[in-house]
Order: sequence, then structure tokens, then C-alpha cells
Amino acid sequence: MRTFDYTSPRTVDEAVRLLADHPGADVIAGGTDLVTLLRDGIRTPTHLVDVNGLGLDEVSWQPGGAVRIGALCRNAIDDPALGRAYPVLVKALRAGASPQIRNRATFGGNLLQSVRCPYFRLPEFACNRRTPGAGCAALHGDSRHHAIFGTSENCIAVHPSDCAVALLALDAHVLVQSTRGTRRIPVAELHRLPGRTPHEEHALRRDELITAVELPAGPFGAHSTYVKARDRASFAFALASAAAVVAVRGGVVRRSRICLGGVAPKPWRSTAAEEALRGRPLDDAVIEAAADAATRDAQTRPDNAYKVDLVHGVVRQALTELREQS
Amino acid sequence: MSIGTPITRIEAPSKVNGQAVYTADVQLPGMVHAVMVGSTIAAGRLRAIDTRAAESAPGVLAVLTHRNVPRWHGTPDDLHYVEPRFPLADTEIHYHDQCVAVVVATTREQAAYAAGLVAVEYEARPVVASLDAALPTAHEPVWRFEPLFPSVVEVGGPKEAFAGSAAKVDAEYRTPYHSHAPIEPNATVAQWERGRLNIHKTSQDVHGDRRIIAGALGVPADHVRVWSTLVGGAFGNKTTVWPHTLLAAVASRQVGPPVRLVTTRKQVFTGHGHQPPIIQHLRVGADADGTLRAIIHETTNGTPILFDDPEPTISPSASMYAVPALGAYVRVADMHMPAPALLRTPGDGPGMFAVGSAMDELSYALNLDPLELRRRNHLAHHPLKRKPWSGKQLLDCYALGAERFGWDRRAPRPRAMRDGDDWVGFGMSSAQRLEPHTAATATVAILDDGTAEVRTSIAEIGTGNLTTLVQIAADGTGVPVRRFGIVSGDTDLPEAAPTHGSRSTGSTGTAVHLAAQNARLAATRLAVADPRSPLHGLPTDRVGAADGRLFAVDAPERGESYQDLLRRNHVKAVTEEGHHDPNAKNQQFAFATFGAHFTEVRINRNVPRVRVTRHVAVFAIGRVLNPKTARNQAQGGIVFAAGQTLSEQLTQDPATGLFVTPAFTDYHVPVHADVGEIDVSFVEEPDYNAHPHGAKGLGEVVCVGVHAAIANAVYHATGIRVRELPITPDKLARLVRESG
Repeated sequence: MRTFDYTSPRTVDEAVRLLADHPGADVIAGGTDLVTLLRDGIRTPTHLVDVNGLGLDEVSWQPGGAVRIGALCRNAIDDPALGRAYPVLVKALRAGASPQIRNRATFGGNLLQSVRCPYFRLPEFACNRRTPGAGCAALHGDSRHHAIFGTSENCIAVHPSDCAVALLALDAHVLVQSTRGTRRIPVAELHRLPGRTPHEEHALRRDELITAVELPAGPFGAHSTYVKARDRASFAFALASAAAVVAVRGGVVRRSRICLGGVAPKPWRSTAAEEALRGRPLDDAVIEAAADAATRDAQTRPDNAYKVDLVHGVVRQALTELREQS
Repeated sequence: MSIGTPITRIEAPSKVNGQAVYTADVQLPGMVHAVMVGSTIAAGRLRAIDTRAAESAPGVLAVLTHRNVPRWHGTPDDLHYVEPRFPLADTEIHYHDQCVAVVVATTREQAAYAAGLVAVEYEARPVVASLDAALPTAHEPVWRFEPLFPSVVEVGGPKEAFAGSAAKVDAEYRTPYHSHAPIEPNATVAQWERGRLNIHKTSQDVHGDRRIIAGALGVPADHVRVWSTLVGGAFGNKTTVWPHTLLAAVASRQVGPPVRLVTTRKQVFTGHGHQPPIIQHLRVGADADGTLRAIIHETTNGTPILFDDPEPTISPSASMYAVPALGAYVRVADMHMPAPALLRTPGDGPGMFAVGSAMDELSYALNLDPLELRRRNHLAHHPLKRKPWSGKQLLDCYALGAERFGWDRRAPRPRAMRDGDDWVGFGMSSAQRLEPHTAATATVAILDDGTAEVRTSIAEIGTGNLTTLVQIAADGTGVPVRRFGIVSGDTDLPEAAPTHGSRSTGSTGTAVHLAAQNARLAATRLAVADPRSPLHGLPTDRVGAADGRLFAVDAPERGESYQDLLRRNHVKAVTEEGHHDPNAKNQQFAFATFGAHFTEVRINRNVPRVRVTRHVAVFAIGRVLNPKTARNQAQGGIVFAAGQTLSEQLTQDPATGLFVTPAFTDYHVPVHADVGEIDVSFVEEPDYNAHPHGAKGLGEVVCVGVHAAIANAVYHATGIRVRELPITPDKLARLVRESG
């Protein structure tokens, strides 16, 4: 049998020590993604470090208004204060997966989930992300779901997380720990573009563990929303999604974040859309211009050119909702 | 009377409390496990296969490949096996995930692990991975067995009639690979006992399966017993014997103990049936008043390399509307794809998508209400059989459906109804499904303990047929439903009609109806001949039955219970058989079930996903045996077809022919949030010409026309005519910019 050691540490120090000592170790939390990858032989760890006994499941408000969400908080999190301060985050979480999966899936695991590209998930196909240098079968395959931003000739898969798109729009950080200590990584820098190394999915070092996600203090974030286009009403990954945060003062947009999901190998920030909003009133023409700007520089393939229109649509929908709320 | 009452399914409690047994739940002493290894190419041959590592893995008892699989008996064609090649018969690879080896081990985990150790070297060959790529090979089908429908129908000079028509539609409609996607994976448990074979399998037809299994294994049929316990979703994919069943049987014969083989979720999608991709070219011509002049329907479906398997999509064009000139042409094109299986609803499902869409397009060309166009072309008789339809209350279905839906609120032009950010559209379609007749046998036993029992080999696939058969038997004998049992799903029982093609109610139901009448008559004869019976001396036709009791029709207080009668006479049970003879139907008529679908869709201009918010359906199926199970089956069928219309698609990689969506993650069946309000009604008139109990099949007609009704509503909402299913957001994405 393909065996692995399984350890269930009681402290973070113990967990990161295990990660340091076992180069072939994987972390398991909710297991909603990893278990399927293990079953299909896509991941073959020598060691599983089960972090479910570490606590790390509290939402704690910091002096000054920032909030720290433990890495093991479940995606089903139901915290009214969080919903008021960061509507985009709660909406993104509710838009993801199914209630059963949200009850299991954790914040840390959600951020580090693998791509859903079938060419990655089915061992029959060549995949650079799975086996460096093997080639990318998706390039000549069915690309309806694939990325229109940030791709390379080595990988065109999209990052599947809804939550990460909202966290990017909120300028969140992840807190990580290793035997060497702790550090903070901006969510914007957590995921990597494929470039020549699509197998290097994120900026975490092999022995580092996410312990929390930290959101900056409001009020930026309170006026926000998340819109997701998908193939059915629920339980489907995004074809395109938009997380929008705007701060309107004196009738014009002072600051905004427009981030896209389902269209790039990482949560994708559209500075062009933000630029189109800055200093302008949130009216139909400006919303249209921002939605249009969000699609700028898209690189499409025949099967996924439609995503340009969907990006336009979800950004327009998100900004229209925010205008109607203000 | 129990017929017509909304009785809850008799097996429902066992499904809720966990006592229900499905095939993969069957536990036999000493049972071991088998796992199939599938090919990772779709076209080519095995160059080498190395099983040494697998054979020496822990717990492994045997590895079967083409080198050591026992010789099969008979030929696939003689046995009507699912494909013309038995499993592991040679080194050729014709489709993705084709079984190349079977690993048998003490536990399923050991077998699965060792399956991964089987090293296969392939010689790949050029692959035909899409229907478009296959079109150069399109040809008239060569039937493997007796033809079920003609490949060419030409009546009345269709080309000339079309050319001379005042209004014309000329369009191509496409449907993708659709999977059955049952929740329960296909499974088999095989056990040999002194040369006799016991098979538990996921089956819609145990007797049909037994003939194939016995033939392939070279065992007399009466040495093989097949059980099908409750089936967890079938939709046609359990109508036949797949490789895993034969392989489990030979594996068990080789290793000794019983073998369980449960297919993986991926294998259910790759190798256990689907409806193939289909391209239908429709040309429809009409006079300016909407009177149809011509329909030319050319259909081409993908077929496996090894045999031709035409999909009967021409069914609706050849039987639905009054058209004097008809041309229907069936072709197939060779692809590297696994064997298809009948998928609810074969032919009429995809066929009515095309015909119902083309009728809608014609209605806009004529500036005529699509419902009115259908009314004007209503048919009272089967056009090819030249017999009147029996029980065709289709015009009543149209009228009732239109009223319940509020069809009169429909704007005549497309993209004219808007509610906030939603485009709103109405669409409709007719529904029709021919009513089949198949031989069926059942027995009904009235027992001396006051209970009674139906015995027939029918499989319960989730439709409620055990319940409706008991209702028929209860009314036929006068023994109440609560005292009735039913034994089913076993070849030791009288042979039912297969549980597919809407045959249960009509054919098996008739057998039960006749068996119940015969049992009651036998008991009545016993009573009137018995001097101790209060009914002694009465003519049998003056004796009634109700509440478990026989009584004098003219003096109901005079009578006695079956229990008293049987005990006094020392008769344990009165058991009688009923047989449905397919030729017993009234030959003057043609038979079908009918209906109408009305759908409202809403499509947000920014997030252009089709939401079916309201669906009204009305069916004419003769007598409704059980309003609760009937409504449930209708709603389920509408959701089933809506999924095929909007989100389901089994995608093949265009370069390799490998399936890229063989999982529920990617093969999107509807979730609860997708299901809007579904209003189901029946125009109920017993059809005694069809069957003596007046009821007809329901399971398939409910799906027919749903695809077209939704697609037509999408056009009405948006002005975008989508002629290729599924209607996913990408096909409506341009709506975002067009409705800014």
C-alpha cells in the first residue's frame, strides 16, 4: 500500500517542527481538497500533519480595529460583526462550494487549495504543475474554464478560491509560522503566477504553516460585495467573479479595490478598473468604464473568450449593487 | 379503491432508516474485492502489460488481463451483449478507460492500490475525439440487431414541398455527451456455488441480464440467479450487462470466494453509458397560416468504432405533427467512444429539442403564437401507422397548461419582457412518447393469514413502481395495501417487463392486474363451491371483494374474509398468475403518452445564467395510479431534462479523446438551488384501449420537450437562439454588452 505517517500535533510549535523534519509532509486541515488529491494519486505525501487539534479557530478583534481570523476557522463561519465590517468576505464564502464543504473547509486550506484544471486532476494528462517539465495538455485541450490573465506557455489554470479574491480586495495578510519564527505575507503575494515554474503554487516555504488571516481595520471594506458567475446556482467554481470594495466621499470614489476570480492563476487585481473609478462619481458611465477597464489586456483562447464579457458583467453588477447601497 | 390515492412509497421508510439494501451493500461470507484498471488512451493497442508488481502486492489474489482471462462463450452479438467485444478479449483499445486488467484482492483498498501498479505500455493510434472530426465517416447505420426504426423515411416529396413553402426554418441543433450520472455506481457481487452462479447487480432487467451472463460464461440460464435490490438511480444506464459484471463473475470463479466489484465514480462516467453527441439538421416549411408543408430531419450521432448505434431522434418529426411531406434520415459517425446506453428519454429527448426548437423558430417567422402553431398542426392519428391515437388529450393539456401558466401574458416579440436586471422569457413545447408493450408475468398470492403478496422480477429504480403495483393488486383482490407485500428483483420470480422505456405501469402493471383478478376469482370459486361459506351457490360475478373480504354484491353484509375462507379449507394460499401479452392491446389504435411544457426563465443582464423560475407541465397518461409518485416522477424528470439543457456535458479532450469531466465536480447536475417552482397536472382519462387498468407509462414523457421549452424561453427572453446544449453562461455572455 502507498502508506504515509500521520501525526496529530497539539501545538503549532510541534506542527512546524514536524514540517521541518519531514520534507515529504503535507498539512491536512478540512481535507476537502487534499483527500481527493490523495485518492487520485495526485499528491503522494510521506507524512500527513493533521492540524485540526491546534485550535486556531477564533476570530479576534485587535486593538485598533483589525481582525485576525484563525487559519482553522471553517468557511461556514457565521460572525455578524465580520459580515458588517467586510461584506465581501462573507459573500465570497457563501458563494463557495456547498454547506457541507464549507463546514469542513478552513481559511488556511481554502487559500492553499490546488487548481481545478482537469488536466491537473486526471493523471492521464501531462501537467507542468503536477510534474515539472511534463508539458501542459490544457494548451491544446478544452479551455472553457481557463485563464485570460496571467498565464504562461506552461500553465493556463485558474485559481479556484472565492475567499482569496475577497481577501485580496481587503488588502489582507496571512500570518505564517515556522521553526524560524513568524512572518506576514500580503495575500497579493501569496499566490504565484505560473511563469516557468507552475509547480510553485504559492510563496509559503515548505515548512511554514498559515496560522491566521488578518484584515486591516475599517471602515474600508464595509462598502463591498462579491458577485460570482457560474454554471449553476450553487456548488460550482467561478467562471468569473468580482470582489469590489469602494470608499465614496463627497460623491466620488476616493479609493477602491476591484479583484477578479476565475480568470487568472491567482486572485487578480484590476488596477485599471480602480483607476477608472478614482475621483469619479459611481454613475452608469463610470461603472461601464470600470467594467470595461477590468477586461483590458485579457488574452483569450477560442473557448474562453466569453470570459471577457462575464468579467464586464460581474464588475458591473458588483458596482451597481454598491451604488444602490450608498 | 387504492388506485388514485396518494400513497407514500412502501419502501420509503427503509430508505430513511438505512435498512434499504443496494447492490454494493450486499455482504457475503468470505467476500473479496475487484477493481478494474482502465486504459489511459482512447485509441490504439496494448503493447505490453506487466502485472508482476500488482500480483506481489499485499492481499492480491489474482490479476486478470487479456492473457489469462478465461475464454468467453457464445458471441457478443448472439447474446445481445452491450458491445461486440467481450471484456479483455484482445489488446485493442477503442475508448478511454476501457478495462485492460482486473485486480482481485482481500480488501478493496488493496485491490485499488495494486491496480495502480499494473504497468501498461500502449501503442497509440490517431483518435477521433469529436463528432465533428467523425463526420467524414457518417453513414447509414448497419443494425447490429433487428432494426427498431427506419433509417430513411420519405413521404410526400419533402424536398419539393420544403422548397415551395411560404415560411421556412433551416437550422442545425446539437446535443453533447450526456451522462446518466446515477448516484449509485454500477456494481456487481458474484458468487459461485457448486457450478451455480449467484449475481447481485445494479440492474433494470434481471431476466435480460441473466441470458447474457449465462451465455457469456457458458452456464445454463437456470444455473444463474440474478438479483437487483433497490437501485439508486438508473435512467437507462443499468439496462444492460457492462464488462464489470462478467469480470466479477470470472474473477470469482478463478479465486473461489465471492467477488464484489463496485465501479469508481470516474468509471461510471467513462464506461457505463451515456447519450452520444448528436447533430440534427432540421428544415421545416409551412404555409403563411402555419399549416406545415414539410419536415426534413437529418440526424447524425456519434457511434463507437466497433458498431453502429443510431439514436432515434427522428421519432417526434415522424409522429408529432400533421405534415404531408416528411423526410427523416438517420446517420452515425465513428468515434473513439464507449458504448452508449439508452438515456431517459432515448430519441424523443434530443429529437424534441430539435423539433420543438424548430417549431418555435417557425412561429417567429410566421409571427404566430408558438402554442397556436402547434394547435393548428395537431394530429389525431399516427401518421405512419395510419391509426387513430388512443387517449390523446393533448389539446386539453395545451389549454390547461396555458391557463395555469398565464401564457396570455407573453409578449409576442423576443427581448421584450424585463423585470429589473432580469430578462424574462416564456417558452413551451409539446411532449409525446410512444407507449411500449412488452411481455410480462406476475403472480398474486392471497394468504391464509390475511395478507397478500405480489411476485414479479421488476426492479425498483426509484420511481415508486413497487407501490403502484401493490395498489393495482390491492384493488384487484380487495386486500388492502397495508396488508400487501411485494417480492421483486430476482430471476426466481416471474419475469416482469424490463424496468425501462416506461414499461412498468403498462406491461408489468397489466400482468399484476390480471394476476390479482385471477387470484380473486380463484378464491371466489372456492367460496361459492363451499357449502360452509355464506357465499355458497352464488354466481362468481355476483361476488365482490373489499377490505380483505368477499361479499355478495346484492347483500354486502353477506360474506366472509379471505382469511376465514382459506383457513377453513386448509388452503395456505391462493396463488394465480397474470400474463401481459403485448399483442393483446387494441390493434385499431396507436398508443402514446402526451403532454405540454410551459417554462419561464429569467436571465440577469450582468450574470447571464438561465434560471428556470417557473415550469408548468400537464400530461395525459391515462389513469393516474398514484398522484404522489406520479407528481414526484414528473418533477424529477423535468429537473433531469433541465440539467441536460442547462449544465450537463461530458467533455472529451479534443486532442486525445479522453474524458475531462468524469466527476460530479465538473459534470454539473442541477442542485436544489437550481430548481424553481414546478407545477404538474394531469388530464386524467383512463385509456382502456391501451391497458385493462387504464394507466400508461410516465417516466419518459415527462422529460420530452423540456429542453425545447427552456431553449425557446431563452430566445424569448434574450433574442439569442441557442441551438447547442447545454445553454451555459458562455453562450449568453454577449448579452452583457448588448443590454448595457
